[in-house]
Amino acid sequence: MWLWFAKLGSPKWFYELSTKWLPWLTAAMVLTLGVATIWALLYLPPDYQQGYTSRILVVHVAVAGTSLAFFPLMAVAGTITLVWKMKLADMVAKNAAALGAWFSFITLATGSLWGSVSWGTWWEWSDSRLVSMLFQFFLLLGVVSLRSALEDSEKAAKACALLSIVGCINVVVIKYSVEWWNTLHQPASPVSMESGSANGPEFWIATALMILGVYLFLSVSLILSTRNEILQRERKALWVQELLADTKSGRG
Amino acid sequence: MKPHRRKRLGIILFIAFGLSVAVGLTLYALSQNINMFFTPTQVAEGEVPDGQHFRIGGMVKDGSIVREDGTLSVNFVTTDFASEVPIHYVGILPDLFREGQGIVAEGIVDDRGVFQASKVLAKHDENYMSPEVKAALDASGASAENHMSLGEGGGR
Repeated sequence: MWLWFAKLGSPKWFYELSTKWLPWLTAAMVLTLGVATIWALLYLPPDYQQGYTSRILVVHVAVAGTSLAFFPLMAVAGTITLVWKMKLADMVAKNAAALGAWFSFITLATGSLWGSVSWGTWWEWSDSRLVSMLFQFFLLLGVVSLRSALEDSEKAAKACALLSIVGCINVVVIKYSVEWWNTLHQPASPVSMESGSANGPEFWIATALMILGVYLFLSVSLILSTRNEILQRERKALWVQELLADTKSGRG
Repeated sequence: MKPHRRKRLGIILFIAFGLSVAVGLTLYALSQNINMFFTPTQVAEGEVPDGQHFRIGGMVKDGSIVREDGTLSVNFVTTDFASEVPIHYVGILPDLFREGQGIVAEGIVDDRGVFQASKVLAKHDENYMSPEVKAALDASGASAENHMSLGEGGGR
């Protein structure tokens, strides 16, 4: 098991494996996102109170749920960086922060759009769900700027790792904010298997597909940016030199 | 695992645990400030200091909405099915505002015990259903909201 772990940490191994996996992941992403989007926009039934505004929630719920995965992901990568000093883990963490900030931003934007119609307000400072999500957005921007602020890349990696681990606390607060305190934001919906009841399959299958698609999008983006990071950081390594030579001769 | 790695992992877990406890206790201590609104029962029990601006959250009582002709003025009663607080508001209400709907209002209680709202927001609960399903549920009287309002003796 430790051998496998050490192998996984090798940028070269990751690069080669991801070359094989990327086309499949991308195809799966395009397919699920495509089906989910068309379903949500054209076939999702209207809600009895909101009408078609509820369609925004398919995107909102999927992106919001996925955005909660970033801090745990960065914390695991950060722990590996701090304890085992594995280079690959830090490369993943670096790119996850910026991507997570975008996810949080889209969550806030789609939520605001929906809220302005349904609640009658774009933003409420007194709602703990809204504010804790905004906090996550700023925290992720903080991780991004912390890295660029520190010149010593090893120090930056350690500082970001620690901030990522601490940031996980906020994820728990976001998740349970709607249950611990009273908020304007509704709690998570229960899922009903029965067609023709509240929260029936006709509502949640599109959302489930969207969640799957957004997770695939996250994976593909993260793999692509990590591959870039590998090429940049390992540019002096023999295997990267050979790869570049191959690409050049292949084109010429 | 090598001893120095185990030690580092131990330090990380210790920091994470310590901070979680600290944050948890802080949030617990601040919970009344983090809560977005008071319930009508809390207002009735005098938990809100007099003359203070605050938010109240509850359901719009069935049959309680009274609009004044020719103005944007509206009176209604908010309830948590234990206590009730009358609310007066002048302005445009959100689309989801209706009887039996969860709302959050911001304002102040006047001398007559009426909540003078400066802002009214509509809550949406966690249940989504199509109009057909809602109609079917209403017909069978099975929806939770209907159940509660029947319990209150309010008809539609």
